[in-house]
Formats: sequence, structure tokens, C-alpha cells
Amino acid sequence: MKVEGWLFLGCAVFFGCADIVYWYFSHDPTGTTALALAVGLAFLTGFYVLFTGRRLPQRPEDNREGEIAEGTGELGFFSPHSWWPLFVGLAAAFAALGVAIGWWMFLIGVLALLFSVIGFVFEYYRGHYAH
Amino acid sequence: MGTIVWLSSELMFFAALFAMYFTIRSVDKGEGRPWPMAHLDLALATTNTIVLLLSSVTCQLGVFAVERGQVRRLGSIFNPAKWGLREWYVLSFLMGLYFICGQGYEYLDLIRNQHVTIHSSNYGSVFYLTTGFHGLHVTGGLIAFLFLLGRTFAAKKFTHEQQVSAIVVSYYWHFVDVVWIGLYTTIYLIH
Repeated sequence: MKVEGWLFLGCAVFFGCADIVYWYFSHDPTGTTALALAVGLAFLTGFYVLFTGRRLPQRPEDNREGEIAEGTGELGFFSPHSWWPLFVGLAAAFAALGVAIGWWMFLIGVLALLFSVIGFVFEYYRGHYAH
Repeated sequence: MGTIVWLSSELMFFAALFAMYFTIRSVDKGEGRPWPMAHLDLALATTNTIVLLLSSVTCQLGVFAVERGQVRRLGSIFNPAKWGLREWYVLSFLMGLYFICGQGYEYLDLIRNQHVTIHSSNYGSVFYLTTGFHGLHVTGGLIAFLFLLGRTFAAKKFTHEQQVSAIVVSYYWHFVDVVWIGLYTTIYLIH
């Protein structure tokens, strides 16, 4: 995963240089802050990719002689279908609308959000899927 | 990986807040207004910060327990060396809760005794927006802790999926912690 990691770290270096030049010419705190945190944005991803890459075994993508078939196998758990994100989204929209319309609506929205998130998080932990 | 990409975008969300803070600060200072326009309780904020920092440590100890595949404690509850994921995460949750309560207390003091509200001044607006959004993130982390603990109790088996969830919650928690160090330094130390 070295290529991906260095790609992001390269971006971080670029943002860092741009930040210094920007500050030198403008002395504008707003853009300088934003650029400084953009360094963090790229660095965080790059560092994580490199760090995880060292802990994981070599992937077929990293091998020049690698075959697509080598990437098969269990990748993880993916929900086949779920209605919960819809309800979470509706509840979040309702709560956000509540901020503009009235706090009573916001509170109902937060309550609905709480229930829908519980449903979402525990969907594969109860009933048929309990393990 | 997805969590990390999301967290780096969250970093840009806080970048906007920091940028807002610095912009308004430079404008206000340029116009000769006092900054900060409130007397901040440094001792309270520092205690809060230390508790939040230590909660990151306890959270990481929970992650080490996860990496051992240990969800519950192996010894007495008074023996932290034998604690599992649950005990460490409950402790981190309580420390985060302490932080939020401390922040609530600080807000109350500012509003009641110093009449600094989100409407009162530019300083009030940026103070509550930056620390408030961070507080909301901490609250989100606390809810995530609860859901995670709920999952470990809902399932009889500690699965790989739960391990991953525990680890990404810890990433989020560390992120919130690091953002707070930045906020604490800018708001309380540098002004």
C-alpha cells in the first residue's frame, strides 16, 4: 500500500508548501488555517494507509505478478439490504428542519433519530440474526 | 479506512471553524475590541482537557484488549490489569461524560455570571460555535461508546465485526481529542 500512502503524503507536502507561500504573501489567517488543516487531511490518510500497510500482509495489488483471482475470499460483512438508513435520514432531516421551525419539532426529531439509529446499529444483532 | 477518510473530512469541518475563529479574531482585534470578551476559567478547562486526554489513553487500552480478543475482565473489577474492552470503554465513557458536564458547567457560568451568549458578541458566537460543535462531537462519541457496549452485550460471541467497530470508535475518539487540543490551545492559551 506504499503507492497510495505516498500519494497522500505528497499531497500533504504540497499543501504544506502552498501554506507557507500563502502566508508569506497574504498574511491571511483564514486561508492559512484552512491550508494547514488540509495538510492534516492528506497526512492523516497517508499515514494511516502506510501504517496499516505495514501491518497487513502484502496484497495482490502490491505484487507486480499479481492475478485478479488472488483477491478473492471473504472481504467483510456487508448488509444485503436495509430500511434503517432511510428512517435515520428522515429523522435527521426532521430534526434539522426542527432547528429552523421550532424546538418542539427538533426534540421529536432527536427522539426519532435515537430510535432509528438504535434500529440501524442493532439490525444484525437481534431476531433472526442474533448471535 | 472509510472511517479515516471520513475523519480527514471532519478535519476540514473543524478547519472551517478554526478559520472562522481566526478571521473574526483578527477583525475584532483590528477594530480595537477586547479579545477574549469573557473571563475564561482556565483551571476548569485545563482539568477538563486532562480528563479528555486521559480518556484517550483508557480508550487505547481498550483497543489493546480488543487486539487480545478480550471483551470482559478476567479478574476483579479493582484490578485494571485484567480489564477487558468493556471496562476500559465504560471508563472512557465516564471520562467523556465528565468532560461534557464540565463544559456545560462552564457554559452556565459564562451565560449566568458573565452574560456571554451566542448572540451577545462576536466572541460569544465563535466561542460557542467552536466549543459547541466539539462538544456535539464528544456527545456523538459517547453515544457511539454506548452502542458499541450494547453490541458486545447483545451478541454472545465477540466477532471480528465488533473488533473493527471498537477500533474505529477509538479512532474517532482520538480524533475528537486531538481537535480539542487544538481548540484548547487557540481559545484558552493563545487567545
